[in-house]
Amino acid sequence: METLTIGKALNTGLRRALEDDPKVLIMGEDVGKLGGVFRITDGLQKDFGEDRVIDTPLAESGIIGTAIGLALRGYRPVCEIQFDGFVYPAYDQIVSQVAKFHYRSQGKVRLPIVIRIPFGGGIGAVEHHSESPEAYFAHTAGLKVVSCASPNDAYWMIQQSIASDDPIIFLEPKRRYWEKGQVDVDGAPEPLHSSRVIRPGSHATVAAYGPMVRTALDAATAVAEDGRELEVIDLRSLSPLDLDPVFESVRRTGRLVVVHEAPSNVGLGAEIAARVTEQCFYSLEAPVLRVTGFNVPYPAARAEEEYLPDLDRVLDAVDRSMGW
Amino acid sequence: MTPVSRVKEFKLPDLGEGLTEGEILKWLVNVGDTVALNQPIVEVETAKAAVEIPAKWAGQVVTIFHSEGDTVEVGAPMIAIDTDPGAGPLPESAPAPSAASLAAVEVAPAEGAVEPGLIGGPAPGGRTAVLVGYGPRSTTAKRRPRATGPSAAQPSAPQPAVAQPSAVAVQTRPAPAPVEEPVEPEPVAARPAATGVLAKPPVRKLAKDLGVDLTQLVGTGPQGSISRDDVQAAAAELVEAASGKRSSAAPATAEPAARPAGEREWRVAVKGVRKLTAENMVASAFTAPHVSEFYTVDVTRSLRALDRLRAMPDWQDVRVSPLLLVAKAVLVALRRYPMVNSSWAGDEIVVKDYVNLGIAAATERGLIVPNIKDAGELTLRELADAMTALVQTAKAGRTAPADMAGGTFTITNVGVFGVDTGTPILPPGEAAILALGSIREQPWVHRGRVRVRQVTTLGISFDHRIIDGELGSRFLHDVGAFLADPEAALLAWG
Repeated sequence: METLTIGKALNTGLRRALEDDPKVLIMGEDVGKLGGVFRITDGLQKDFGEDRVIDTPLAESGIIGTAIGLALRGYRPVCEIQFDGFVYPAYDQIVSQVAKFHYRSQGKVRLPIVIRIPFGGGIGAVEHHSESPEAYFAHTAGLKVVSCASPNDAYWMIQQSIASDDPIIFLEPKRRYWEKGQVDVDGAPEPLHSSRVIRPGSHATVAAYGPMVRTALDAATAVAEDGRELEVIDLRSLSPLDLDPVFESVRRTGRLVVVHEAPSNVGLGAEIAARVTEQCFYSLEAPVLRVTGFNVPYPAARAEEEYLPDLDRVLDAVDRSMGW
Repeated sequence: MTPVSRVKEFKLPDLGEGLTEGEILKWLVNVGDTVALNQPIVEVETAKAAVEIPAKWAGQVVTIFHSEGDTVEVGAPMIAIDTDPGAGPLPESAPAPSAASLAAVEVAPAEGAVEPGLIGGPAPGGRTAVLVGYGPRSTTAKRRPRATGPSAAQPSAPQPAVAQPSAVAVQTRPAPAPVEEPVEPEPVAARPAATGVLAKPPVRKLAKDLGVDLTQLVGTGPQGSISRDDVQAAAAELVEAASGKRSSAAPATAEPAARPAGEREWRVAVKGVRKLTAENMVASAFTAPHVSEFYTVDVTRSLRALDRLRAMPDWQDVRVSPLLLVAKAVLVALRRYPMVNSSWAGDEIVVKDYVNLGIAAATERGLIVPNIKDAGELTLRELADAMTALVQTAKAGRTAPADMAGGTFTITNVGVFGVDTGTPILPPGEAAILALGSIREQPWVHRGRVRVRQVTTLGISFDHRIIDGELGSRFLHDVGAFLADPEAALLAWG
């Protein structure tokens, strides 16, 4: 058991993947010499060489296109998209090629590509640096989408994603990179595409992923003073969704609040609300409520705290649900 | 303004995305020079380009920390500027911060710690330094103060003084309006009438499970919605109603809680047990042609028989009443006239070998009619025990629905209310019902003389589709004959 930050846990997980499989490559903008703008790949080029940890040109479409070719030749590329808002030049490669190759080849060719994207806001950054593009990818058949929220998950999920033969969009909660937690480096990980109750409670269920898991946990801690127990679920896998634990929880609590930074409109929360309503209709004491970013472009840094869901907005939603 | 704050240190910023260091190519100013805001002060070469860095403040250069050709880490102090040189000479200790800052840079950071200003290190405002942006804030699991107590859903208790919005609230931005919901709550008035009742899904499920029709209920929940309690109350009434409750015996004691002064009429909603009773009675009264007959009989011998019974050792603790003998009389008579123990099933008549004898019981929750299963198989003692148990269970409100289902013949003891008798309406599915009037002393011709005797009047209603006047009359007469002389009847027919 070690205490690591999420960033260091990712770095350690990447290092272990490079050690375990000589076909694993890391590629992206400034991932080599600099170690990445968030230092997630710090020290890897020094130890594994420029052939395996590759500084690429500033061209995301080219990064993914190159990764496709490498994957076709048996490599397992791990691409870093420097910031969430930079992924869009690569969007065509991802949805038109990465997502479709397995299907197009009638199952003969699989592309074991991991696309790491530091996502979400909260760091006071400029435009293109704070977006939550998960719904675009979760909507696309042929892609898997996961998001880690703790150092232990960061360490294990990145390795599981690299080991997966399917392409995976790996979303990293960039504002939580420096949060520390216990990492069980020798233990056995949970299945990659599984959600998990990370705090049990009886009054209402709060489901979140990525950076909002911390917010949900904080909300549960804050409201415990009022004698309320929130059950917090870390969804972890956004495509495929593993909602059985959510159904089971909602059947007990009768209330669900889904939290994400991305806007509510046609987002993950909408999908979850629809499925929970279908599966748990007779258990719902209140409609499934969403606490999300607003349906506007991501705001300027000084306004982002008004935009991002925080503890108080989560608890306001819990209050609304309880008062139904 | 203290002298220390006059002197500001300029640290090497990250000039590109993710640079860690830069080489000083050339200083453009010297110690003692006066610099203007944004005046270029130094030329630095990074991995990406050589750039001139402008002065962040106007003032006089106090210290230059590095020589040309030095490689400086991002975040290390470059130059110190006295921003108020006109205020007099600096105290001896003025340049102190630089030494401390330098030391911090030169000493390797403790394991896991990151220097201030570098990525992952501390930044102003409780943030973590990042490459692009102000950096993430560290979080706290603390809720903003709320003016209205913990929530609308909870009764607002008096808040401790600490929690009141005071100086804290001044710093906190006001609670934003609940912009959370992209969709406004559905306005009740706009709801189409066809939607029917307001009830949450779990309440609908409960209603479905308990067989309660939500459209018949008046909701007491928020916005007139039907609550779980509403459904459970209605279900409890349904259970009673299902037992065959008759309108003649249902107490109408419910008075509206708030009745306007001077109002001379008041209205009781027809719902729940009242509604079901009404439906049953209408269905029975207008489908089964009722015939009622009466028979007044001297039951003095029955009462004496009961006295003798009570004196028997086996019966010391047994509760016996005239109703016990009436029940026995009915059971004996039903054996002689099984067609009375039947029901109408459209194109056939279902005659039953078994008797599930219903006994109407007045309880706090109203009248219920549990029945004694296979009463015809029981001895008199067993019948007495069963009746006692049945009444006690009913009065305790614990009668199970199964005990109220499947009755084949019913006795209603309206005599306990002091009336002579009545013309009861048949419980649906039964062919006959017997009413026992009050037993009281009356002048009666006994053995040729007028004597004071214990007399009662039996009333019977029967379904004329099944039971002709002859059969009904014979049955009623047999019951009366039993009560007039139980010993003889038992000898003859028992």
